[in-house]
Amino acid sequence: MPKARLIDTSKCIACRACQVACKQWNELSAEHTTQRGTYENPPELSGNTWIKVEFRERPGEWLFRAHTCMHCTDASCEKVCPTRSISHQGEVVIIDQKRCIGCGYCIQSCPFHVPGKDEITGTARKCDFCIDRITDGYKPACASTCPTGAIQFGERADLIAAAHRRVQTLVAEYGYPNARVYGEDEMGGLHTVYILTDQPSVFGLPEAPQLAISNAVAQWVSGVITAGVLAALPLWLLFRRRKQIEAEQESRVEGGTR
Amino acid sequence: MMAWGAPIYLYLWLAGMAGGAYFAAFLAERFAGIVDRRLLRLATYLGIPLAVIGVMLLVADLGSPLRFWHLFTQFKVISPMSMGTWILFVWVAVAVIMVILWWIQSRLAGEVARSLRQITESLSWINVVLAVLLISYTGVLLAVSNQPLWASTALLPALFVASATSTGVAILIITALIANAISSGGLIELKLAINQLFGSTDWTIPNRIIGRLAEADVIVILVESVVLIGYAIWLGASGMAGAGEALGLLTAGALAVPFWIGVVLVALLIPLALEIANWGKEIERKAVWGAIMASSVCVVLGGLVLRAVITIGGQL
Repeated sequence: MPKARLIDTSKCIACRACQVACKQWNELSAEHTTQRGTYENPPELSGNTWIKVEFRERPGEWLFRAHTCMHCTDASCEKVCPTRSISHQGEVVIIDQKRCIGCGYCIQSCPFHVPGKDEITGTARKCDFCIDRITDGYKPACASTCPTGAIQFGERADLIAAAHRRVQTLVAEYGYPNARVYGEDEMGGLHTVYILTDQPSVFGLPEAPQLAISNAVAQWVSGVITAGVLAALPLWLLFRRRKQIEAEQESRVEGGTR
Repeated sequence: MMAWGAPIYLYLWLAGMAGGAYFAAFLAERFAGIVDRRLLRLATYLGIPLAVIGVMLLVADLGSPLRFWHLFTQFKVISPMSMGTWILFVWVAVAVIMVILWWIQSRLAGEVARSLRQITESLSWINVVLAVLLISYTGVLLAVSNQPLWASTALLPALFVASATSTGVAILIITALIANAISSGGLIELKLAINQLFGSTDWTIPNRIIGRLAEADVIVILVESVVLIGYAIWLGASGMAGAGEALGLLTAGALAVPFWIGVVLVALLIPLALEIANWGKEIERKAVWGAIMASSVCVVLGGLVLRAVITIGGQL
């Protein structure tokens, strides 16, 4: 049975213990950052920051969401990777650090902007679900350390059922009419599932994330048709005409000499 | 942080120009029934270094450049980068073989030269198909992603193909004008060196063919303008989150100056004005020669700005 991580935004207090635990367990170095007028730090996920709490404020309310790899069932990064360095190991999407050439295509293709290039290793890196821990029956570092139960780890089906129950409570008792579960079906089913207290866009998540290669055939056709028709036509018009004109001139010359 | 910077857009520009020049030269000679392949040879001689420089930039930009060969251990149809690797590799390899065969042909006569000539002709067909795939791929690479500016329409490959053809024609014109100037000038040693390269003294491109290329480029630029307008409208109307903002970035945001000046003015409007003003005029006249040269330089530089604006804009 596939495992999953459930992140409940209604329980997150932005203590960022998950960020610290992730850095510690995975031996990720610190980032050089500057004061940007926010408690949110660092500014984005990178090759050395695999989970981070995003801060959003609106009148009377803070919205916190821990952002990390979704471990998509249909993973864009895996599909576009030209060296097949990205693969699924069970539910975990893993970048093979011995194979990755650091081309950056996964970075451009992820609908959630998760992978980052590490300048020191020269590879793309991201959350690996603490695969060394979970294969031994432990939870990922982020879930183990979370003090409020906002990050849970377990059987995906159980967590989704629990998430729906929690959403019902949030809607009925806590006054979050837009509360919902995110990730049940997106990208074929995410393995980081969210309980959101509002619409996905409010939390910086795409309402309808797309598989990067879903439009690939149309894009190839667009290029080839343009070349074959629109770009070839001008050359045909001008050089075809030249041939005809010369043929006419030649026949005229021949007619004249006769 | 931007994962793809200057090396990538330079590469997209160079590879597009290489493929576009070959494509245009091939079609022009076929349509006109010219059999001496002077234009195609010029395009091949140009295209190989352009493509190789582009690839070198690309490899240098990898996080782990020494692992570039991992690309050649896979053939993955759904990954545009994997397909691009193979398209580019085979195109350059075939082009190099064509050059070698042309050299041998020019030093031989009779039956052997004729059969070599047939082989080169067949290879040139293979490479025109690959050139179409190559110039398409430069757009497909970006379009198959999750960046709204690149992925929310199906017109980015069309735009890059039009631009590749236009810049390819322009670089042919520039080179042909320079070659003709060398031929009529006093640089004897350079002339002899080019004679060696082509295996004969017949390597100048007739001015009327350069004129036709310039006129063809007018229509290609018109096509490119229409595609660009279509692309902008599609972006604005796209339902994909971020597509409207991405369009705003080009028309009124951080990239507005390079977009309006570099792309709209330099790549499209100035060349159109110059070429239309000199349509059908004789290149022998200095003013016409200068106008066509200036317009072609604009097209080439504008093509670079287009790649830069789109590559950077997609990641902001």
